Amino acid sequence: MARPAHPDAMKSSRPSPTRMAPPQMPPQYPMGGRYRAYTLFDATGFVYLLVGLLALRVVWALGNGPGAWAQLQAELQNPVYVAFHLLALLSVLFVGVRFFRLFPKAQPPRIGPAKPPPQPVILGGLYAAWLGVTLLMAAILSGGLL
Amino acid sequence: MKQWLLRLEPIIWLLFGQGILLGTLLLTGWILVVGLAIPLGLVPAEALSYERAHALASSLVGRLVLLALCALPLWKGAHHIRSLAVDFGGGERDTALATCLYAIASVGSLLAIAAVIRL
Repeated sequence: MARPAHPDAMKSSRPSPTRMAPPQMPPQYPMGGRYRAYTLFDATGFVYLLVGLLALRVVWALGNGPGAWAQLQAELQNPVYVAFHLLALLSVLFVGVRFFRLFPKAQPPRIGPAKPPPQPVILGGLYAAWLGVTLLMAAILSGGLL
Repeated sequence: MKQWLLRLEPIIWLLFGQGILLGTLLLTGWILVVGLAIPLGLVPAEALSYERAHALASSLVGRLVLLALCALPLWKGAHHIRSLAVDFGGGERDTALATCLYAIASVGSLLAIAAVIRL
């Protein structure tokens, strides 16, 4: 159901003689139609914030020595951490697919004298980079490389 | 404070954008191995024994990757939570909430720098 939006939501940056109706939130917002993906994309912010803090904790424990590292590895086996990392993986995949689909469309028509590559080439490059970095990271971290 | 946030917007957007791009590129493999495969026993824990993990992490590339992995997702998270809060009617409290969220991301980023330096 439509409801009033923030009064400055569509405000012009300069004074304008044109009168505007008060802004309204779209009726389908936040979880109807296409707004569901938009809202979920923003909501992954909570997961990213927590993943960043958890990664910081992992690196900090590594700096504290072997005892702290062993304790942290044991903690990460807790089902709560495992469930969170499963949610984090789903979030990261969702963000990647959605953002990489958007990225080629957001390119300017020209960057200085050069034109950006065609959209499928950019999209393919992003997916190749994602797959490559993921496989490299996984191989290194799991002991298969280095 | 609102003026400060507006002035800092290019930096915030840079970190936010890299949080999505680099954060997503780096986090997928990290979560798969560190968060899931090793805790679930799919990969032996010795793969990240203290000695090996420390050797990997304390190299220059390792430190830079870990810094990006810790700090950039904080900015993606902070900015998207702010955006979500505004959409859900928190526009009046935007300045206070944004300050709080970016403060968390800033302190986290500084701690991440300290964490990779002390490895």
